[in-house]
Amino acid sequence: MGQDLRELFFDPNHPTMLGACARAATAAEARYRVPYPNSATRASRVFALDAGAAEAMYAITEEPWQGAHFLTLANSGPVDPETTGAADLPLAHPDGSAADLMAEIDGADVVVLLASSGENEGAAEVIAREAYHRRIMSAGLALAGGQSDRAVDRTVNSMRRFATVLVVARDNDFIPAMLTALRA
Amino acid sequence: MLRKDVNDLLTQTDPGTAMGEMFRQYWIPALLAKELPEDDCPPVRVKLLGERLIAFCDSKGRYGLIDEFCAHRGVSLWFGRNEEAGLRCPYHGWKYDYTGQCIEVPSEPEESGFCQKIKLKGYPLIKVGDVLWTHMGDKDNRPPEPTWEFATVAPEQTYTSKRWQECNWLQAMEGGIDSSHVSWLHSGSLKSDPLFKGARGNQYNQADKKPVFEVVESDGGLFIGARRMAEEGHYYWRITPWVMPSFTMVPPRGDHPVHGHFWIPVDDENCWAWSFDYHPTRALTGEERQAMIDGYGVHNQYVPGTFRPKQNKDNDYLMDREAQKRGESYSGIWGIAMQDASLQESMGPIVDRTRENLVSTDNGIIMARHRLRKACVGLRDKGTLPPGRAPEHQQVRSAARVLPPDEPFKEAMKDDLRVRPGVKQTSV
Repeated sequence: MGQDLRELFFDPNHPTMLGACARAATAAEARYRVPYPNSATRASRVFALDAGAAEAMYAITEEPWQGAHFLTLANSGPVDPETTGAADLPLAHPDGSAADLMAEIDGADVVVLLASSGENEGAAEVIAREAYHRRIMSAGLALAGGQSDRAVDRTVNSMRRFATVLVVARDNDFIPAMLTALRA
Repeated sequence: MLRKDVNDLLTQTDPGTAMGEMFRQYWIPALLAKELPEDDCPPVRVKLLGERLIAFCDSKGRYGLIDEFCAHRGVSLWFGRNEEAGLRCPYHGWKYDYTGQCIEVPSEPEESGFCQKIKLKGYPLIKVGDVLWTHMGDKDNRPPEPTWEFATVAPEQTYTSKRWQECNWLQAMEGGIDSSHVSWLHSGSLKSDPLFKGARGNQYNQADKKPVFEVVESDGGLFIGARRMAEEGHYYWRITPWVMPSFTMVPPRGDHPVHGHFWIPVDDENCWAWSFDYHPTRALTGEERQAMIDGYGVHNQYVPGTFRPKQNKDNDYLMDREAQKRGESYSGIWGIAMQDASLQESMGPIVDRTRENLVSTDNGIIMARHRLRKACVGLRDKGTLPPGRAPEHQQVRSAARVLPPDEPFKEAMKDDLRVRPGVKQTSV
């Protein structure tokens, strides 16, 4: 019987050594993982592209984020990406003070675009264009709560060309969940 | 990253835990039907959601799933005699029926009715497809029986296996919705595995290692779309459905059978990885079925007589560094299933998610956790039954398709992503 068990469970060519998976993956070994901060603070830039997105964003800006900047478009008029340069995009901080897109985006690690409608595809393009030039990932979050499929499609389509990741969320509470997961 | 309290919430499934209660709202796979092949066959030990149980098929063909231990002195009923419509403890002859009701206490006068006062915890066990399913929750909230397509097509169209995975269910399940690892970890197998190779879609997978993701909520869970470049500006889409709490399907390749998984907690540090293959419109060929038995595709080879993979952590998963150098296997581990399992087990029994650094392409995982947490808390605090129980939530398929750039998959592939009896899977 003992012989059989050895044949079943142990390969003589692969004995279980101190550094082998059988030991290394145990709960007991987990406490020897090196305790240190394995990442530096990220620079996340969150842009609300419309009034609905701004309202959802304002609800969470006071939470203790790790350096995330929250920005809105200072007026809700459509932006023509052909004629609007980065310096021309009317951005604002939550306190209403003006923000500069290039200053915000320089050195950013991730750009998050929030939209609850498809009304500002032009602004999305201007922001994403700057992010693309700097090789910064752009994630789009379409807030779909209470909207028709058609309206959601319009929102999604407004960001599809620019976002490396696009999420359609039914509830606004996904915004803090996502930003927390991304260490924003 | 995930806060420790949320990680604990999602990974703990013993009785009385919030996620444990959530799993108990569903029919979950408990055994392969072939583990109880005939009436009065040997009973089988089963551990699910932190509960030690014994499964048996009585003389009348009724399946039972009851507390493993005799109510008299705590003997394991694995040693029991399965005979004459019940499972009898060999120690003093106490006998239980398929519901766990004690029906004989030989030492007591039959007229006393004493045995009526003894009842082991028992759960229903039903056969749907190749699988015996159980519902471990309140019978007043029992959902309709499972309607997953892989379990309801004709027997010759489907094959199911299970393997013991030595880590928490959540880190195993998260691998099932993490589409971006395929182009790396499984890149060698896409060229050689008989259940994967040869599909045109594989070329897109290998040519574009930076997929773009779209995550869309469905009533039962999520659709996670991965988009890669195809010809003439078109996109190659692969859509993975996830249905709560732990059902996933792999997007199909060519006319190969469609694969998928259930990830079911054994306890907090072990889970069952259930793997199925089926074809919606034709019988599996002899070659396909043999490949599955031989451990190809999402299946695996076993330590004989067990459900433990032949490649396991005791033998370093038979790591082959030469095969890695030759490019046959990106990680040096043979087989798609064990390529995944080896890495997921290496994280430790329950990965510490406070230390992880997710990136935006991990949004499928982020959203799945978010929905699990909400459902779990909703059930715990308000008694709201979670998504994924309704038959219509289970009528999903994975799909792969090339689309023009301006067509959202959610609309263009709406029909492809639902079960259509008699219609084959949408695949490239």
